[in-house]
Amino acid sequence: MLNYSLRRLAFAIPTIFALVIFAFYLMRLAPGGPFTSEKPLPPAVMANVLERYGMDEPLYVQLFTYIKNILCCFDFGPSFSQKDRSVNQIIASGFPVTLTYGFWSAVFVLICGIPLGVIAALRHNSFWDYLMTGLAIFSQIFPNFVLAPIMVLLFTLSWGLLPGGGWNGGQWQYIVMPAIGLGTSYMAGVARLTRGSMLEVLNSPFIRTARAKGLPERTIIWRHALKPALLPTLTYMGPVFVYMITGSVFIDVFFSTGGIGQDFIDGAYSRDYSVLLGLAIIYCVLTLSINLVLDLLYAWIDPKVRDAL
Amino acid sequence: MTQPVLEVDNLHVAFPSRQGRKYPWSPMNAVRALNGVSFDLTKGQTLGIVGESGCGKSTLIRAIAGLNKPTQGSVKLNGADVDYDNRRDVLNLRKSIQMIFQDPVASLNPRMTIRDIVAEPLTAFRTDLNNTTRLEKVRNMLDRVGIAERNFNRYPHEFSGGQCQRIGIARALVVEPSILLCDEPVSALDVSIQAQVVNLLQELQRDMDLSLIFVAHDLGVVRHISDDILVLYMGSMMEKAAGKTLVSAPQHPYTQALLSAVPVPDPNVQVQSQVLEGDLPSPLNLPVGCVFESRCPKRASICTTEKPVSQDIKQSQVACHFAAN
Repeated sequence: MLNYSLRRLAFAIPTIFALVIFAFYLMRLAPGGPFTSEKPLPPAVMANVLERYGMDEPLYVQLFTYIKNILCCFDFGPSFSQKDRSVNQIIASGFPVTLTYGFWSAVFVLICGIPLGVIAALRHNSFWDYLMTGLAIFSQIFPNFVLAPIMVLLFTLSWGLLPGGGWNGGQWQYIVMPAIGLGTSYMAGVARLTRGSMLEVLNSPFIRTARAKGLPERTIIWRHALKPALLPTLTYMGPVFVYMITGSVFIDVFFSTGGIGQDFIDGAYSRDYSVLLGLAIIYCVLTLSINLVLDLLYAWIDPKVRDAL
Repeated sequence: MTQPVLEVDNLHVAFPSRQGRKYPWSPMNAVRALNGVSFDLTKGQTLGIVGESGCGKSTLIRAIAGLNKPTQGSVKLNGADVDYDNRRDVLNLRKSIQMIFQDPVASLNPRMTIRDIVAEPLTAFRTDLNNTTRLEKVRNMLDRVGIAERNFNRYPHEFSGGQCQRIGIARALVVEPSILLCDEPVSALDVSIQAQVVNLLQELQRDMDLSLIFVAHDLGVVRHISDDILVLYMGSMMEKAAGKTLVSAPQHPYTQALLSAVPVPDPNVQVQSQVLEGDLPSPLNLPVGCVFESRCPKRASICTTEKPVSQDIKQSQVACHFAAN
């Protein structure tokens, strides 16, 4: 398994390089730049600014410098649009925020979604099953830009229980609504997925064997059915988890959390090349590492996969 | 007369079905999978059950094991009634009745080592055993079915179908049941492996004084292993007799047709196999008369109006109006 992990890590490095190069050139292809505005700068000023940020050099030199700075000093460069702030600073201030509420959101998704799905599968075709499936479909199609205002209306304006936005160092009251707003539709997805795969597993021959052995229902579900039933849920949660901890643009903007979703939007509007690239690299590294973790989890669950590693 | 280990009396199983209803709110229809099957099983004997696909063979033994709830009728284990509504009763049943299944590989949990698979029934029923004695029992049982100890930590997918069926047998017999229900245990295996598994079953039966119920659609295998044979058709008993009698002097026209379809392992023998015409009746809507009427070569008007009752003819129990002649 160690051998496998090392091999996967070795593959990850060229992947990240490819992404950086691809994203770098693509962004420069987009019209406009960080210093173009409605009133053009005088050519002399423009030349100075470009030189200050090293943008007067050929693209491949810029790319080389960029990569060299990351490798030698973990420096993602200065922000082009936010003066006096480096990309490192921007990520350091925004990322912990999204990581925190994204993590809690994922916890919410799993501890609500999985039991709902399992219960619906165990009570297949009963009232509870229909209620759960109905609720899941409803919340899956219920966009968070509708849900978030309703939550604010109820919890903040009507009942005054929770603050309507802000972060305040990450106190729990400030985390609840962003986490729920971000997670609800995924929670519904997890519930439906778990229900489906649980039903399939419960009908499989080896569960029939477990029943014929005479095991109590509790043991059948916990020891035999749950692990294989959670495989599709794991696959689904991988990319969702990355998406969650890198934050939702809408949630960051609506609740003014100060997460990196906001920086992503600002960066895209102002062609802030370095911020966008930095965020893209974070996204890439997270996706790769979560996928590796998922594959190791599969191996833990399924001995067939374990042999293949 | 010794008491039979298992007495099955007038067993019925019906499943609710949405099919064939006029409106979604109409009452559920019933698929009548099993209609009044009765037999006794003597200790140490083997009862073979044959019939074509969908005739209720599996339903019958699943009902006895409590995997499907019987809708009517009774099952007595060692003279005591089994209450299938009582979950504790059904779980206790498994100490005496164990099952093996048709698809040996898929029937084992792919995420457990075979040692754990075979040990699990013991952890459920024999809480009096400590770890060492439990593993000792597992080792003995797996050794009996011919699985070497160096393979105990392997997973089911690393074994062949025949080996998996042996493991399944070990798993079923480790709790020392008195009855083993075999649901088409060899139909997924190669013929050479079939013989090994059947011989193993017979050997274990002799050593452990087991009673077997052996379900198959292959009369050849059933004939080889069974003392008595029961022929099912559309959930009803057609004929029941001692294996030899049933094969040499079949009374029921359905049994005769089944036997004529058994291939003869001699290329010089010209087999006149009797081909049945006609359609099976729907289990949603069984005929008033004999269930075999639509395909029977001997049918007459009485067959559509009156259900034949099982009667003793020579040494067989036959449900047919014309069995006597």
